[in-house]
Amino acid sequence: MSVRGPRLEFAVGAFLLLALASLLVLALASTNGKFGFGAHTYPLKARFTNLGQLRTSAPVKIGGVVIGNVADIQLDPVKFDAVVTLAIDDRYKDLPTDTSAGILTGGLLGESYIGLQPGGDEQALKPGEEIAFTTPAVDLIQMVGKYMFGGGGKTATPDASGTPSTSMPSSSPPPTSTPSTEPTP
Amino acid sequence: MPFIAATRSLGRAGLFSLSVLRASTPTRDFFAELVREIYKIGARSLPIIAVGGAFVGLSVTLLGYRALETYGASNQISALVGLGLYRELAPVLTALLFVGRAGSSIAAELGLMRATDQITALGLMAIDPIAKAVAPRFWAAVICVPLLTGFFCSLAITASWFEAVHVIGIDGGTFWQVLKDAVDFRHDFLVALEKSAVFGGTAALVASYVGFHAEPTVEGTSIATTRAVVNASLLVLMFNFVLSAFLFGK
Repeated sequence: MSVRGPRLEFAVGAFLLLALASLLVLALASTNGKFGFGAHTYPLKARFTNLGQLRTSAPVKIGGVVIGNVADIQLDPVKFDAVVTLAIDDRYKDLPTDTSAGILTGGLLGESYIGLQPGGDEQALKPGEEIAFTTPAVDLIQMVGKYMFGGGGKTATPDASGTPSTSMPSSSPPPTSTPSTEPTP
Repeated sequence: MPFIAATRSLGRAGLFSLSVLRASTPTRDFFAELVREIYKIGARSLPIIAVGGAFVGLSVTLLGYRALETYGASNQISALVGLGLYRELAPVLTALLFVGRAGSSIAAELGLMRATDQITALGLMAIDPIAKAVAPRFWAAVICVPLLTGFFCSLAITASWFEAVHVIGIDGGTFWQVLKDAVDFRHDFLVALEKSAVFGGTAALVASYVGFHAEPTVEGTSIATTRAVVNASLLVLMFNFVLSAFLFGK
């Protein structure tokens, strides 16, 4: 064993080096790189009436570039608004006070994110301040429903079972995939 | 009374684990043994881990592509592969391969030491057999299995990249970007390493416990080897569920 000692140690050293190098490459190449060494972010708050599918750690973007993420989501117990805390990268400290925030969706059914639209004010938002102008999430299904049932239809069929057509003057039939069920005159 | 017997054997295993921890003192002899064990159970396990990882990456890519293509989301294949690997597949499969490759050898070695009275001899020479023979193997496993999991992931992701980009035809830039966006450093990557450290420790403890307490016969050694592999594999799978339920089960 004494003969093999140095070679053995070399083999172990090579194994450990190779393993650590592989871990480092993995950490850099395949993860989002949030190593958590010190918080280089500052918080901002924003109130929304409807979050849709927004969840914590969703990205915050300006013009498609990620500048932070959603750190926390709480419901205001008095106003019943959703209060979203954003963690914004320290490099973007000078967001104007009239910046507006909206909840957007990537693609038709993609993940929700917060899109910021910087305004033109000369004063910058301070850490912890609230973004005043917000747009809630758009519920695609509700919008489609309103479009389908809200437009004044010409054929009033009595098959609207449970569809929200009570406040509307008349309702067109719901869209069905098979055209044979549609009452075409 | 099977219940009391089961409780007693669990207690024996717990006391054994405790004595392993207590016997781990950083002496020169300990480090020499540790280096030897890292070589034997870590470095020598590299080929099986590498080949295993590559083929797991390939098959998960094929499977995921088939499922995602249905929804027109085949671009997301690397997110599926990455998350699946880091969260479940890589720690568990590495640990299972490690149990088969190294756990069996630990149990066989210790069983043979028991059968040839080497453990008794160490005790007679006032050398703690646990400190000499068990503790280095335990720590070598705790160190090596996370590193081997890293290898498993590298090979699996490389193989998946090859399959997805060069065979299926997904854009290479999309592959890496989707992977980076999906895998969180702390909640996925580090969790994989933590999990595999736990699994490595479990595998080594089970194997050395079974080997250390083997019947001092040839048959006893073979029984110990079998039991080490079976018990360690089952424990790894159970612990994986428990850890996943705690870490991801919100």
